[in-house]
Amino acid sequence: MSNIKERYAIVGVGESERSKNSGTTPLHLALDAARAAIGDAGLSPKDIDGFMSYSENDSCTSHQLATYLGVRPKYVKDILGGGSSTEMLVADAIGLIETGQVNTVLIFRSMNGRSGVRMGGGGWDVDMLQSAIDGGSFIIPYGAGSPSQWFGLFATRHMYETGLTKEHLGHVCVSFYEHAQRNPKAYFYGKPLTMEEYLNTPNLSSPFNKHDFCLESDEANAIIVTSAERAKLCKSRPAYIMGIAARQCVSHAHYWSNLSEVASDYVAAEVYKMAGVKPEDLHVASIYDCYSWVVLRQLEAFGIAPRGEVGDFVAEGNLRMGGRLPSNTAGGMLSEGYTHGMNNVLEIVRQIRHDYKGTERQVDNCEIGLCTGWAGPDIAGAMILRN
Amino acid sequence: MDYQKPIPLKNQDNQPYWDGADRHELLIQTCESCHQYAHPPGPACAKCGSTELSWENFGSDIKGTIYSFVVSYRPFLPGFQNDLPLIIAIVELEKATTVRLIGNIQECNPDDVKIGMPVKMTWVDITDDRALPHWIPAP
Repeated sequence: MSNIKERYAIVGVGESERSKNSGTTPLHLALDAARAAIGDAGLSPKDIDGFMSYSENDSCTSHQLATYLGVRPKYVKDILGGGSSTEMLVADAIGLIETGQVNTVLIFRSMNGRSGVRMGGGGWDVDMLQSAIDGGSFIIPYGAGSPSQWFGLFATRHMYETGLTKEHLGHVCVSFYEHAQRNPKAYFYGKPLTMEEYLNTPNLSSPFNKHDFCLESDEANAIIVTSAERAKLCKSRPAYIMGIAARQCVSHAHYWSNLSEVASDYVAAEVYKMAGVKPEDLHVASIYDCYSWVVLRQLEAFGIAPRGEVGDFVAEGNLRMGGRLPSNTAGGMLSEGYTHGMNNVLEIVRQIRHDYKGTERQVDNCEIGLCTGWAGPDIAGAMILRN
Repeated sequence: MDYQKPIPLKNQDNQPYWDGADRHELLIQTCESCHQYAHPPGPACAKCGSTELSWENFGSDIKGTIYSFVVSYRPFLPGFQNDLPLIIAIVELEKATTVRLIGNIQECNPDDVKIGMPVKMTWVDITDDRALPHWIPAP
């Protein structure tokens, strides 16, 4: 296997407007995001010869997007998937470029996640859910139809074993909401959260209250991946990919037989090895945050704090600006917006490029960043970027 | 009144479990090759891939302890709007501690539920010919 460390880069990032009701189609949103990313890279649409997307059957296709950018692509791919799809598609793009099949790939996620198909539920056909989910007959008849409940079962046990408390979950939320106050495009810009308010908010499904849940938003995000050689021709500063773990799994989980490991535990070893870095080398992070607890479990998986000490780590303010590892600095999916992880990728690229230099949003002198993806306890990915 | 909640759908992998439940018996799939329990049941053992599978009948007197739980205050599926707050737990079987089942804890104050709490299986007839196992606190 050839070593791809730092031979590929993310050279463009872009997004559409973010709203609760876009009033338009995922294709329009995707075009806005794609044009923004192409402009960011200083490329023309015809420089893109591969297009990829992920969705939950709630988007447009890569072929449609390419068509309306006026491009004849050499490669299109649309996968079903949520969290950790971005990392997997970046890895797939590298493979295609490495084997000479394409030169430059645009990856997008477009969704009317609030006004259209909502992940938060409502409108699901219960017999479809039972059949679609492995082991569905053992959970759906008991009212367990939401990831908040499935992940909550992991969270309750993990918190019991490691001493994490509700207040520790709150530190994740409060830290990320604080970041959102520096991001005028964040959903919760102008709506900071105090620990008192957090602790006084009733649970929707224990151990989670509404602040522990990610948002639902209408928006599209896009990123562009190319080789380090081609990156030199772009106007943007490349975010070089030091290491990537496309997608690791533990056995399908819904979810009860093994709560003591998650796929991220395996991702961490792979991504650090390829990148040749250690947890203490990281300066900034985007940690998949569909729920607050998922962040805490990943901090443990990625060795950012030892098991049993993750609560202290977040309570000391280490996810905040000036902390040990400022994370989800646009507000994350808890308070910026939600595209199954890609908005967190956009942010870490911008941090690594020092796009915010001279403002309070910039993590000072950040050179190396970790970006994680989490489809569930059973499927995860990650990449490490540097400037 | 008709039962409003989702009823377990039988398929070729889970049918012995749900047929057993209808008779108020707990059947757990086991692997003849690696001699481990295979729950949830599937077309092959998820631990070793073997298709040499059989079913062990644990009878109707089932005890366990709560391994983890959530308390939901909002119905995330239709039919549960009158069951709030709803306790969903993972229960570890007393006679097979590697087997963990998801179920609701009934007749229990949500403030009292905790990990390690002993519970007992109870069988609820939900239609003329279907039954669903639940759990209640053990005395």
